[in-house]
Amino acid sequence: MNDIASNKATVNRLQHVLPATLVLLLAITVTWLSYTREPSDAFLFPRLISSVMVFLAMWNFLRAFLGLAKVGDGLSAQTVVRIAPGVIVMLVLVYFAAKALGFYVASFLAFLCVFSLYDPASHTAISSWVKRLLITAAFMAVIYALFTLLLKVQTPRGLYF
Amino acid sequence: MEFLQYFGGVFEPTSFLLLLGGTMGGLILGATPGLSPTMAVALLIPFTFQLEATQGLILLGAAYTSTVAGGAVSAILLKIPGAPANIATALDGHEMARQGRGTEALHVSFLASGVGGIIGVLLLIFLTPVLARWALAFGPSHLFWMAILGVTIIGSLDSRSFVKGLLSGCLGLWLSMIGYDDIQGAQRFIFHDSLTGGVNIITALIGIFAIPQVIEMLAKGRVKHKIVAVSVAKQSLLSSLKLLSKNVKALSIGTVTGSVIGLIPGVGGQIAGLLAYDQTRKFSKDRDTFGKGNPAGVIAAESANNAMVGPSLVPLLTLSIPGSPTAAVLLGGLLIHGIFPGSDLFDNYPEVAWTFINSMLIGQVLMVIFGIWVASYAARVSQIPPPIMAAAVLVLALFGSYSVQQSMGDVYIMLALGLSMFLLEKVGFSAAPLVLGLILGPIAEANFIQGSMIANAMDGPAQYFLMGPLNIVLIALVLSSIAWSFFSSRREAEKNALLSDTVAKGGGAINDPFHDDTGAQS
Amino acid sequence: MNKTLLSLALVAATSVMGTSVVSADDFPERPISAMVSYGAGGATDFQARIVTMMAGNEDYLGQPMVIINKPGAGGRVGWNWFASEADNDGYTMGAYNIPHFIAQSIEGGVKYSAESFEPIANWGADPAVVVVGADSPYNSIEELIDFAKENPGKVTVSGAGLYVGHHIAALQIQKATGTKLAYIPTKGGGAAAMKAVIAGDVVSGINNLSDAYRAREAGNIKILAVADVARSEEFLPDVPTMMEAGYEVDNASVNFRGLMVPAGTPAEVIDMLAERVQAMFGNARVAKQMAAGGSPMKIMSRAEVQEMWAARQETLTDLLAGLK
Repeated sequence: MNDIASNKATVNRLQHVLPATLVLLLAITVTWLSYTREPSDAFLFPRLISSVMVFLAMWNFLRAFLGLAKVGDGLSAQTVVRIAPGVIVMLVLVYFAAKALGFYVASFLAFLCVFSLYDPASHTAISSWVKRLLITAAFMAVIYALFTLLLKVQTPRGLYF
Repeated sequence: MEFLQYFGGVFEPTSFLLLLGGTMGGLILGATPGLSPTMAVALLIPFTFQLEATQGLILLGAAYTSTVAGGAVSAILLKIPGAPANIATALDGHEMARQGRGTEALHVSFLASGVGGIIGVLLLIFLTPVLARWALAFGPSHLFWMAILGVTIIGSLDSRSFVKGLLSGCLGLWLSMIGYDDIQGAQRFIFHDSLTGGVNIITALIGIFAIPQVIEMLAKGRVKHKIVAVSVAKQSLLSSLKLLSKNVKALSIGTVTGSVIGLIPGVGGQIAGLLAYDQTRKFSKDRDTFGKGNPAGVIAAESANNAMVGPSLVPLLTLSIPGSPTAAVLLGGLLIHGIFPGSDLFDNYPEVAWTFINSMLIGQVLMVIFGIWVASYAARVSQIPPPIMAAAVLVLALFGSYSVQQSMGDVYIMLALGLSMFLLEKVGFSAAPLVLGLILGPIAEANFIQGSMIANAMDGPAQYFLMGPLNIVLIALVLSSIAWSFFSSRREAEKNALLSDTVAKGGGAINDPFHDDTGAQS
Repeated sequence: MNKTLLSLALVAATSVMGTSVVSADDFPERPISAMVSYGAGGATDFQARIVTMMAGNEDYLGQPMVIINKPGAGGRVGWNWFASEADNDGYTMGAYNIPHFIAQSIEGGVKYSAESFEPIANWGADPAVVVVGADSPYNSIEELIDFAKENPGKVTVSGAGLYVGHHIAALQIQKATGTKLAYIPTKGGGAAAMKAVIAGDVVSGINNLSDAYRAREAGNIKILAVADVARSEEFLPDVPTMMEAGYEVDNASVNFRGLMVPAGTPAEVIDMLAERVQAMFGNARVAKQMAAGGSPMKIMSRAEVQEMWAARQETLTDLLAGLK
């Protein structure tokens, strides 16, 4: 039932101002780069786009600053807490483990971690862990058949596989 | 009616088996994230070495038609569009699947694909000589205006906020310029080594659509399976057919848009689906239901991207000009058998040419039958508990984005784009305009630069870009599209001002009758 | 509990898959990838798929070869990746296009040069040809050049990109005839450049002999001259070379295609590949399919390719230096 509460979390002004500022900063950086880099011929189109982008980003920032921006659900603290472990697993395993341990090992671990972290079933019973491992292994087998056997994709091997 | 003589060739045992295999295999390959129709057809080329020319082409033709339709499966069930052509399908199709109407979505998607596809191939059969001239009429200046026409729908594609829609589109256009510039070879905006090759469109699609969805599932936290499982509504084929017949308008808009866009070399089917979707929504009475599970959205998008298949082969078969990357790969399939397409293809090799075209016609029918058969099973994907689903979509996204170019850089880009998109969506930015910008950027830029270079050697840019009947027609279309978006956004704003007290939350599926079910389940 | 099971799973996985170190004796033990710097369906991609189709045969490599396309910026994207990221264990090969990558490395802004790669063998040579539309008023290279001399900068010439064979040919023609051409690089390779000629977007074009030959068969274009030292007896015996027409344009723009590995690949692996791959290119079925597609073959050994690379490096440095 907590979910409904988090869904209704209205977006406060800060939640709009922060991304609007970031987008504005990005737009300014892109524009600055477009007008300063060489060869200028190659940056003709980027200049055009970035100028429009800066204008829109300023407009967007003003709307956010004045509290006129209304669309979007925003992020509640609770949602952040809920998604954090999963996102960290994704980043750590992909960025650091994929090349070191191998793509398959990293994917296997990513699947298992995300599944286990969010699985409502018992985390102390052996049977539920066996079930999790079996499901993960079965899924990775399907992936192996599809990508490696059928499509002959060569994944980074790293230490293991 | 010459083509009728060659139908026999399609039903010879070996040919028909290949057609069946090609269709089924194509559906599976098309449904695999990261595998676009072009790559699927290229993968099959080595198999055709062993076959006779006609048989090889039957296999390739069947695979082409069914991979385009197969992309809808992952778009609907997983919200991962298999190819740019299926982006618009994901918008309403996945919403339908979440509401337990996955079977229905898959049914109408395959039926619409079949109708659009058959009409497209019939155009190829009857109007090829007329259409070939039309395809050649599009030079760089016209393609530039075509791309701009696509850009103008960016603002209206996102009904939630006009500014944020346009800004999302600009971000997409900017992303498309990262990496080496294609014509000058200059390096642009390379902040990280992974970006040297630019942002690949398939990689971006996977990240932008799949990752936010994974995170949404995680945001539900630990929830009991039983409550979460969405019941899959039983759907008879008959009622799906009825649904299709109720949406004849969407079907016709999709088919016409797809056929016309498919003909133009260099634009191809990438934007056909989105343009058709946007047109259908503009002409619809209940525009607000689009993006919340309106079958008309799926029908328009899928009929458009399959209608484009037939006409996209016109320039290839008559002029030997491959109008799309997939057509280029098919050209390879013809060449290895010593068949050079051209104006006399139908005189020199009538059997090969007509059997190929006929097999695409039969292939469309087989694709519909096979697609509908698997639809009811496939739709059960939505019953998979969220933690497994999130893990599975994540791993599929990793493998899908890696296999596009076998590059870890693409995997990083995919994740980075996905995480940013999740956060941006939370404050009202949207994915569809961003992707449209990403697709249109290179088309607009390359044709603008090329056109300017040609113009400088001729009568100057003003003359080249603004004169001539086709330029004027396209510019008129661009202007009317801008006017439409402007006025409709003003009308929307007035309506919103009235409702602003009640709709402070915005964006959610408030008007949706199905939303109550899912809300109670979570 | 968790940890035990996890490590068990890992042990099981490693024992099944093995973590053996590559040794030259049993190389190759898994499929080999071949990177092509151009999109699927382009001439290089199409030919690479044909010449590698017999790789699975025990006489050659005994393992299939898989084509990976990394297109972008006239090949720069693919070769950058190949020079900086590809594994140098022999399992990642790449297709080279000469003069493209050498010209680009001389121009700068890329991470590779001829030293970054080790050639294995060459499979084809595709000269550049000058083409005009079928209904063009020009019937010979002289007529076109004369018109260009009278109208400097007005003759638009389409080609596949900057610093690729077509561009080199255009630069050579300008240098040899003293004219100024408006070279229009296209996005989308030779096919897009050819479309521009057929549709009349440009006055003339420079394109691959193989593609031009087919376009002429289809009745879409006229071929005015070949930028090579000799006529193509097999495909275009009636088309004169630029030299015959009296313009000093040699074969520096001829597009040589072959396979290479990144520098640092073990010598035994290179030797093994150089021998087997060259034999594979010579397979009769490969030759038959290449001829059917109108693609001229030229098989060269590793030593011959090394010599050719060095020679091109010299000519191109001179040619490009003269332009700045």
